[in-house]
This record gives sequence, C-alpha cells and structure tokens, in this order.
Amino acid sequence: MPERITINPVTRISGFMEIQADVENHYVINAKTKGMMFRGFEKMLIGRNPFDAVYFTQRICGICSTAHSMASTLALESAMNFVPTEQGRYLRDIIHGCEFLQNHLRHFYQYTIPDFVKLPENYPLFKTDHKDYRLPKELNDKMVKDYFESLDISRSAHQMLAILGGKAPHNHGVFIGGITSQATVDKIIAIKSILDSIEVFINQKMIPDVYEIAKYYSEYYHIGGGYGNLLSYGCFNNYKDLGTLYVNPLVYTNNTISIFNPDEITQESQYAYYNDENEPDIQKPQAYSWIKAPRYNNIPYEVGPLARQWLSGNYRNGISVMDRTIARVLEAGKIVSIMKILLQNLIPGISVQQKYTVPEKAGGRGLIDTTRGALGHWINIDSGKIAFYQIITPSAWNLSTQTGSIKGTAEQAIIGSPVRSINTPVEIGRIIRSFDPCVSCATHVYTGGKLVNTIQVV
Amino acid sequence: MDAADLRCPYQESRLKTTASLVDLVRGNLANGTLHKRNLVWLELNGCSGNIISLLNGQNPDFQYLITQMTNFIYSNSLIAAEGNYAMDQLFNVIGSDYILAAEGAVSLKDNGIYNIIGKNNGKPVTGLEAVKALGEGAAHVIAVGACAAHGGVSAARPNPTECFGIQNVLQKKAIKLPGCPCHPDWFMGTLAYLLLYGEPPLDNRDRPLMFYGTTIHDRCPRRSYFDRGIFAEKLGEETCMFKIGCRGPVTPTDCPIRQWNGHVNWPIGDDSPCIGCAQFGFPDAMEPFISYNTTRGG
Repeated sequence: MPERITINPVTRISGFMEIQADVENHYVINAKTKGMMFRGFEKMLIGRNPFDAVYFTQRICGICSTAHSMASTLALESAMNFVPTEQGRYLRDIIHGCEFLQNHLRHFYQYTIPDFVKLPENYPLFKTDHKDYRLPKELNDKMVKDYFESLDISRSAHQMLAILGGKAPHNHGVFIGGITSQATVDKIIAIKSILDSIEVFINQKMIPDVYEIAKYYSEYYHIGGGYGNLLSYGCFNNYKDLGTLYVNPLVYTNNTISIFNPDEITQESQYAYYNDENEPDIQKPQAYSWIKAPRYNNIPYEVGPLARQWLSGNYRNGISVMDRTIARVLEAGKIVSIMKILLQNLIPGISVQQKYTVPEKAGGRGLIDTTRGALGHWINIDSGKIAFYQIITPSAWNLSTQTGSIKGTAEQAIIGSPVRSINTPVEIGRIIRSFDPCVSCATHVYTGGKLVNTIQVV
Repeated sequence: MDAADLRCPYQESRLKTTASLVDLVRGNLANGTLHKRNLVWLELNGCSGNIISLLNGQNPDFQYLITQMTNFIYSNSLIAAEGNYAMDQLFNVIGSDYILAAEGAVSLKDNGIYNIIGKNNGKPVTGLEAVKALGEGAAHVIAVGACAAHGGVSAARPNPTECFGIQNVLQKKAIKLPGCPCHPDWFMGTLAYLLLYGEPPLDNRDRPLMFYGTTIHDRCPRRSYFDRGIFAEKLGEETCMFKIGCRGPVTPTDCPIRQWNGHVNWPIGDDSPCIGCAQFGFPDAMEPFISYNTTRGG
C-alpha cells in the first residue's frame, strides 16, 4: 500500500500551496500540486479603464510585479497598434532586468539555500526537522554569511528598479511607449554602479555557491526532471539594432527545437475548481487546485530560466532539480550582461511618452518571458473599457493540474523521485522549489471561452 | 549660509523617525532594559508583496529585525521549515507574548475557503481562522499594506472572494499601515515604537500619525506648479500631475520626503501620478489611475 505525504504549506514560495504525494517503496508513484488561494483578478478588471491594467495587474504578485506591468503594457500596445521606440524598449527592459535580478537573488538565497544549508537554529525562522544537511561546517558557515549578504544585494536590485521605475514592488515606470520618466545621465550612472556590485556578488558568491551545493547534492542532477518539454515566449529579443540579446520564442520537445506559435496555447480546467461557466466551484468533485492547465499543442511544458537557457543554447547540461537551480543562477549573470548592453545604448534625456487614446473596441495580447517563465496577458476592450482580461502565468504552466491522465509539469517531475524519510520528505520540497513557484500569480479565473485561442486577438 | 541650515527641521525629524526609534530600540536591547519580543508575520489573501517590501528595508534591515530586534517566528515566504512543522511553530506561539503582523485581506466567502494557509493536524486552516486565532491572542496587531488595512486590491469590485481588512474579523484594534505595498520604514518604525512605548499615536482610522499625518500634496515638491496652475498633460512631464489623475491631495503619507527603495525615487519623482495606494478605498476609489481627458473620469 502506498503511503500518502501531504506538505501544506509548501513554504519559501510566493502564495499558498499543498503537495500530495503517494510513496511506495521509497519512491513517489503519484503526485498532485495544489494552488490553495483564489483572488479572481480577471473578474476585477472588467469595466476598468484599460490603461489602469498596467498598475492594477502588478498587484497579482508581490515578488514579480514588474512582469505583469510588462505583459499588460505589451497587451495594450498590441490593442492600440502602437509600436514603441527602441529607446523606450531598452528603458523598460532595463527595469525588467532589475526585477529578474531581485527575483533570482531572493529565490536562490532566501527560498532555495535553506533546503541545502543549515541556517542558525537560534533564530526561530530557521528551525527545521530534517537532518539532510551535507556541507562541511566551514562551507555551511560561508553560505549562511552569503544568505545575509545577499539581502543587501537583492535590495539594491530593487533600488536600481526604483531609479527608473519610481518604487518597487509595484513600479510606476513601465508603461505604454516604454517608461514614464526619462533616463538622465545621473540615473544611468547610478544604475551602472549598483549593477557592478551586483555582478561582483553573482560572480564571486552566487555562482560558486550553487556549484558547491551541486557537488554535495549531486543526485539532484537525476531527480525532478519531468517531461523535459521546454517553452519560452522570448525576452530581450528582436531589437532593431541589437538583434536578440537573450532568447527568441521557441519550444523544445522530443529533442527538437521549433518556432513557438501562440495559437497553439490552450487552457483547460478539468481538475481545477471551476465549473463549466468558469465560475469558481469549490465543490467540483474531481477538482483539487485553483490552478488551471495551460497546454501547448495539448501537452504540458516547463517554463523558466532552464527553458530559456536551454533554448538560447547557453546551458544544456540536463533537465533536473540541480540543472534548474544552476540555470537560474547563471541566468542572473546573463541578465547583468544584457543590462550592460542596454545601458550602453541609452540616449539620455529622451521622453518616450505621448498623450494616448483608449481605443473604443480592440483586442490585444502581450506575451513575454519573465523571471519565472512565459507570461501572457490577453485584453479585449469595448466602449473604451476592459471587456475581457485573461492572464496565464509561468507558474500556471509549471504547476498546472492534470488533463485526462496527463499530469502537470511539476507533478510529473515529482513522480519517480526517491523519498528517504516519509516523515521528512525533503526531496519533494527541493523539487518544487526548483521551479520557483508563484501561486499568488497562478490562481485565477477567466470568463468567456474555454480555450485561449477562441478569442480573436491581433 | 550652510545648505543644511535651510532644511526644514519638521521634515528632517519626520524623515528620521524610523531611524531614531530603531536606534533607541538597539540601545535599550543592548543595555537590557528591553527584551526581544516574538513577531509573527501572517500572509493572507494578497500578493505577499509586503514581506518583499520589508526585505527592502534599510536601517534597520531584515537581518537586524530577525536577529536583534525580535524573535521572528513565522513567515510563509521565508521560514525554513515546511508543512506540519512550520504550522506547529506558527500556532504554538499562541499563549505567549507576541506581536502579529498580517498582510493580505481576509476572505470571508464560504467561510474563507478561498485562502488556505496550511494544514493543522490534517485539517485545512483558512486565513480567516488563522487571523482570528492569532489576532485575539496577540499583544498588538499590525495590518501591513492595503489589503490587510482595508481590503485593498483583493477587495476590488466585484470583490470575488468577499475580502475585507483584518479589522472586520477582530475585536482587538489593528494598527493600520495602508500602502501598496507598505513602506518598510512605516512598518519598522511602528514596530520600534511598539517595542519601546506601546501603541503609537494614531489618527481616527488607526494609522500612526508619525507616517500618515500629512497629505502628499501638502509636501509635494511639485506643489508650486499646482499653485501656479502648471499641469502635466501626459506622463513624463516634470510638472503637477493633478490633471492626469494624481491622488496626492487625498493621500496622507510621507512619500514626498521619505521616498522609496533607499530613498532614491517615488512615483511622482518618476513623472507619474500618485495612485492613492496608501489611502482607504484603493483601488476602486482612486481610479482611473491615469486619465488624459479630465481630472476625473474617462
């Protein structure tokens, strides 16, 4: 008989999540990932002023709010048939880069490191009940030091963001056309100087730290792989003069990379708490999560730093817990190099703002890869107001519920994992955190149509 | 004349409120006249952006908060433990002396089932149950951010999960720190005051006067443009944002002097309007955030 493990709450993520895993002979034979919170943003947005979506949708998520300002801005620009200037794109992509750095630094040090490093138990926040800490004392002590030092560095990433974006979380800078304010010489040099110190930290601490962890927990190169289907909407790409600095919209399955086609995205809710009218329904018999099931070509995909690093050819060591974690850390370094190029190409003192008009009737979509992976916002405007809004987040891809007998991406990654101790199943938490789950983002409702591509978007 | 002599002593002292309170806490902890107290950070129906904002705090920073200032018991985002062990740590605090900081709104629909914060003895615990149990047992309760203070964006129309500020389900007074997110200084300063003297002076809606006493408009560096009738017509202009929707006139916070993220910038400094994120009624009462046509509507 299999034994059932329930982890609730799964901590060190954004939002609330439960994992249920059935274990037989020390291996997981079935798993369910469950989003435990519902807010209903897509309902709230109906009837609001379309321009307000940029600041409003950021409130979906406290750790990656900039991601939503990017996707909503792109959706509005698409609805307005508005093409921003390259300077406008550089400016907002720099803000987006700051958000990547803040997220990756905090995810690695505050969310991941406590899985592998014994933090000082005299502080209640750091007490744990498992014993699987393997680093020699000296190395462990060093990582504890880096945990605390990283707080200054991630804070400074948000500080850079605020220099161009006003404040963080929930910035005011990203908007139609690029950003609200202008890049002045003093702002550019302030960002450059902060970015330099972040780069030093990434190269001297963060990258060595992840490889040390990988050395002592090397079986995690073989745990948590899952389907190995990878998807990216692209980001820092397709600049007129600079080309693609990071990754284009691509998908990877069966050892083949192909061009991403947005019309192949669908979303189902067979096992999510929504009825046939897409209304929340906590009584639905087979449902077990607030997270729906986005699919591409009807199959589940993994999104995030490993998908991007793989698709762009920067890192192709493998697909596993450790590869995902290493890819995220290496991506932090990649983002620094991209931001440097964008900063170099800024022309100070250019306003990218105009007086915009809300279209009476229009549709648009904004698809972009952000910290946790592929993020999509879809908008329909009618009578100058938001008539429909749909959000599919990266964590909805990674934490999707099953469709038919096909498990979601993270569920599949957990299945097959060894569990040494049924009472302290530390392996499962390590697998799920390698995806950097953001349940705050992932649980939504949408109205008007079961499939994404049933709405007509430009 | 030295430039420092031109500074307004009132603004100066306001800006240093948090730092001076924390310095006093530091001193009193060191000389033994003050003991570390337990602090519980409870996340409810929201975006968990206030704990991220707290990590952005400087002087004191998060490390000082958890190692020197308090016994930081619980935060879903940061606690090393998970599952039962984490839940035990949370609920075992009841009966001891502790301060509760809650972020996110409390969802009342269907008895709170839309926000499960964990399982206790195999039974799902709703945010509603958790905030009631932990709130009534706390020495002080702080509602951190817009959602906890008054429902905020979680309660935006049509309020799909019937969200409210935590005060709606508590007998005990919750000190309210609205803001989306709450500025880390507002929280740290309030906490330091609680540790030193107990409840800080509050306005009639339970906001600490030291942070929420004066409107943004009254101290706005662009006030002279308003007085002379020079208004921005679009974002990105360095004049008064009133006609494109600035809610500074109705939002009482110290953003103009404190600013954000190590005091480097703030929304109006970013040539965009204040959207009233720290005023009751945000977001519905503050919309439209950006309007190119009139002062309100459209």
